[in-house]
Amino acid sequence: MSKIDRIVFGDNQFFGINHMSQDKAQAQAERFADLDSIFAVYDHAYSAGIRGIMLNSNDRATAICERFKAQASRYPDLRWYPSIPYPHKYASLVSEKGMVGALNDVLFADGAKSAFGKMARGGLAAMTFDAIRMMKMLVDEEVAIYRGLDVRVVFLQNIVTDLILGFDIAEPLIEYCEHVRKKYGALPGLITQNLPYLRQKLMEWGISDVVLCASINKIGYLMSPDVATYEVALDQNDGDRYPVMAMSTLASGAIPAPEAYEYINQLNVQSVVFGASSPGNIQQTVDLIDAVPA
Amino acid sequence: MSGAISSVFRLPSVAKEPALTGCDYTFERALVMTVRVGIIGLGRMGITHFSIINSRPDVQIVATADPSMLVNKLLGKYAGVKTYKDYSQMLAKEDLDAVLLCTPPAMNYEILKAVAERGLHAFVEKPFTLSAEHGRELSAIFASKGLVNQVGYVNRFNDVFARTQAMVADGLIGRVIRFRSEMYSATITRAQEDDGWRATHANGGGATYEMASHAIDLITFLFGKPDHISGTSLSRLFSQHVEDIVASNFRYAGGLGGSIYVNWSDASFRKPTNKLEIFGESGKILADQHGMKLYLASARPDLGFAKGWNQLYITGLFSSVPFYLRGIEFTAQLYDFVDCIADRGRTTRCDFSAATDTLAVIDTMFADNAHNESELAR
Repeated sequence: MSKIDRIVFGDNQFFGINHMSQDKAQAQAERFADLDSIFAVYDHAYSAGIRGIMLNSNDRATAICERFKAQASRYPDLRWYPSIPYPHKYASLVSEKGMVGALNDVLFADGAKSAFGKMARGGLAAMTFDAIRMMKMLVDEEVAIYRGLDVRVVFLQNIVTDLILGFDIAEPLIEYCEHVRKKYGALPGLITQNLPYLRQKLMEWGISDVVLCASINKIGYLMSPDVATYEVALDQNDGDRYPVMAMSTLASGAIPAPEAYEYINQLNVQSVVFGASSPGNIQQTVDLIDAVPA
Repeated sequence: MSGAISSVFRLPSVAKEPALTGCDYTFERALVMTVRVGIIGLGRMGITHFSIINSRPDVQIVATADPSMLVNKLLGKYAGVKTYKDYSQMLAKEDLDAVLLCTPPAMNYEILKAVAERGLHAFVEKPFTLSAEHGRELSAIFASKGLVNQVGYVNRFNDVFARTQAMVADGLIGRVIRFRSEMYSATITRAQEDDGWRATHANGGGATYEMASHAIDLITFLFGKPDHISGTSLSRLFSQHVEDIVASNFRYAGGLGGSIYVNWSDASFRKPTNKLEIFGESGKILADQHGMKLYLASARPDLGFAKGWNQLYITGLFSSVPFYLRGIEFTAQLYDFVDCIADRGRTTRCDFSAATDTLAVIDTMFADNAHNESELAR
């Protein structure tokens, strides 16, 4: 029995994220401007039997989480797969204020009574700056909105995972995984666009029992270095130690769903996260994904 | 530090077709030599470039230089590199082959002269420096010493724009008559109290240097430097001393004309967006970073294009890179830089001379805008 849901419902469709078309993304963002239309889609997913939800900690996630909590009796058995952080929040801050300004803003966002404020009072002098402690505080702040939900995995966004991976430093990832396990009793998850390389480094670093979420599709879109290397890595992978969750399975719509999932179904992939808006597409996807991995 | 992608990976082979793609990286020369790199400026781009170039087996990041004690402490502790507050100390003490320069552009003229004096290859973030005069001087110095020089105009490595360039160069849409290069983002959407180093043109701040330079570079990449620039309009919305909105018109002696419009205060755009429209005598191209619409007056079955509209998505155009961070473009660009160091017969896709064209356009635009404002004030 896998530790994670076979099918997880994603959120890109709600927030104007479409890798293939900016116009389409814009149209989707407009359609889901209000919470009711988002929940109409969640209801379709729930009716289709989906119980896993991935949700990025973006500026609209709080309202979504609050509504799920308020209507807990309607969705009694949902399991949550949040992803953190919301990269745009930090990227825009950095664009506007520079690195140091952004850091200041994040650290002092809620004034001296915030966790960061407390730490700052303890002395933010560079020589005593504790990066790992700060990382944990940032994680806690991002995860706070999911409190009260049944959180199974806390995913770190690929922009952070892959940045650290490129630096080739183990400690932040080791500490992140430990923190998620201890503080939240959840599985740590790492989203990546470099699955084979990440998996190899995790084994080298002695990090296991981590869910790896990566783009997996037959055309190799958002898969570095390439499809063949992914296929070898998946074939060799121990799905208990490193459960794999496939995303971008349709390659932003370039692959028809039946073809896309025929490919996924024959791979050693434990879970699939997908996003869709129409009841028909949601049900079709659920029907196309085999109940158990190959 | 060691951090290279292991040789267990089957690495991408050479691009099959001669047309430009975002990345045509090949590992065939890798491991023959090690390129010793120093990074100057560890802001957002410096940190991104560190992560990317560190993934290459034949690169060793030896040292970094940045005035921030915090950055230096973190890099020293976790990345295991030697850190300097002052770049000149790093250049004096370390045995390097190349530097990546990610500093505010006003500093680059002085730094690049020191880098050339040490005989080091240089990759520098755009806009490279702040005047065509400095650009030409630096370009000549690096060329005379045979040093690889590259500027981070990353759109040249975007798969869609690289393909667009190849299509135009191959004459797919015939003689080009008009173009439009636009760029939008929600970068500055509130009144700016303290703009930091971005506050003035003298420091390289403002939407022209920081953002329109990309839109201008796309034009020089496709069509070369314009012969005449007019109607420039630089508008302030939220910034105190620099423009937030940039517009201008370009003309070429051969009859080609076009315009640019860049706005970094447009909150309706969630992500920075480049849009390019090119109208030719036998077709039209509408492109952004993620895809392309191609209209052709007659079919090109040899290329798989129908008469009328053809839709090309990034999913059909993309190239793969050995390591992915924030898109394929940054990796393709830096790997190209290292490849050019390893193979001196190879030329970078955007050298100092090419980037100087963009600086010359910007110089002229600033003068044109000042002229237009004084005319209006009369």
